[in-house]
Amino acid sequence: MRYGFYIGTCLLLLIVQTTILPYIPVLRGMYDLLIPFVIFISICLPMRESLPFVLILGLIMDNLSGSPFGLYMTFYLWLFIGVRFIIRFLRVSNRFLLSAVVVIAVLIENLLTIAIFAFFRPAGQLPADTFLVLTQQFLWAIVTGPLFLLFLLALAKRFNIQWDGAAPQPNAYG
Amino acid sequence: MVLIVGVIILITVNVILLSFSSKSQSTFGLGRVGLSLVSPFQELVTRSIRFARDIWERYFFLVAVAHENENLKKSLNQFIGKSNQWHEIELANSRLRDLLKFQKAPTNQVVAAEVIGKDPSGWFKTIIIDKGKTDGLQKGLPVVLPTGIVGQVIEAAGHYSKVMLLIDRNSAVDALAQRSRARGIIKGESADQCRFEFVLRKHDVQIGDTVIASGLDGVYPKGLRIGRVSDINQRNSDIFYEITVAPFVDYEKLEEVLVILPPQSQDLANKK
Repeated sequence: MRYGFYIGTCLLLLIVQTTILPYIPVLRGMYDLLIPFVIFISICLPMRESLPFVLILGLIMDNLSGSPFGLYMTFYLWLFIGVRFIIRFLRVSNRFLLSAVVVIAVLIENLLTIAIFAFFRPAGQLPADTFLVLTQQFLWAIVTGPLFLLFLLALAKRFNIQWDGAAPQPNAYG
Repeated sequence: MVLIVGVIILITVNVILLSFSSKSQSTFGLGRVGLSLVSPFQELVTRSIRFARDIWERYFFLVAVAHENENLKKSLNQFIGKSNQWHEIELANSRLRDLLKFQKAPTNQVVAAEVIGKDPSGWFKTIIIDKGKTDGLQKGLPVVLPTGIVGQVIEAAGHYSKVMLLIDRNSAVDALAQRSRARGIIKGESADQCRFEFVLRKHDVQIGDTVIASGLDGVYPKGLRIGRVSDINQRNSDIFYEITVAPFVDYEKLEEVLVILPPQSQDLANKK
């Protein structure tokens, strides 16, 4: 049941990102919808299950995107490590914290991409629309990112998906 | 201490791998996994959306069609006249080539493909198409439309391929200004424009000039249309112009594209 839920949600997000959002002009500046999902599975699944899942997700995104191979895998891996580290010390039920994590993660993913443009590409020049893309994604992340993550957590609760035993708050869905 | 050393090693390995993959465009042999897994679902969703949209446009949204039909008929009459003229020129060209014993220009065969997905990131410009290795596609093939160059295949799986668009920052096409034959490189810039780089100032380039592929990069056949010069910056003292080109292709509305096959793949496509 819960693997079906995770795989189904992941596939749905990938399809929405690559086939529906690009055709809706107002949503073209949307951030990577898999970021809240990676945070969600980093919190909910045990490490031995979530780590392979995160890496496979990164691999698929690297395949579907024109980015340098490994960019998404790298970012999702570090996001996973970061979230697992944070939930050792802070209450996951804190909605403000979750909101902040999503927005910061979106910013870091974009900055990582910009860093690759700046340091690893032969031209070393940033795209002309850098500021526009960054601003759009940041604003969308502030407005919808936390809501989306809370929606995923509520959905997990609705489907009775168990909290990871390693995480410190068993009733943390709030 | 062990943890810190582990993190440092992980970061170092990460940076090295990213540096390598961004310079060489290598996928370490894993580039087709995601394409094969996710693309069938992308195809299903894209076709469903288009089906619903077609029903709406063909049956419920016919107000402007009669007016458009009249305009199209007028245009068609004009083009029939022009087509006749071009046919005469083609015949004359053929006779003159025979006279000069020139080889005939090879006519490339194309495969039509449907766009089933777009890049999930706002930073890179790629599309996924529903044709792959089984249709004769391979890495490096040019993708075009009658209006101009779309891009090139950068990854081919069994039934699906990934295409890097002309407007992606990694894209580069050897190009010519059609009127003055000034040569340079077209590089991707953003959604609606490209840069025409390394064009010497001694050449005559003007706003409105058409830019075409020179054929010298070995990817795009000579003469394919790219775009129109939309801006020329002459303020700095560089030896090259700073030229902006507006592509002829509307990359936001891509639905079908044509992939130009190399000669050996044309046999495969013919068999199919």
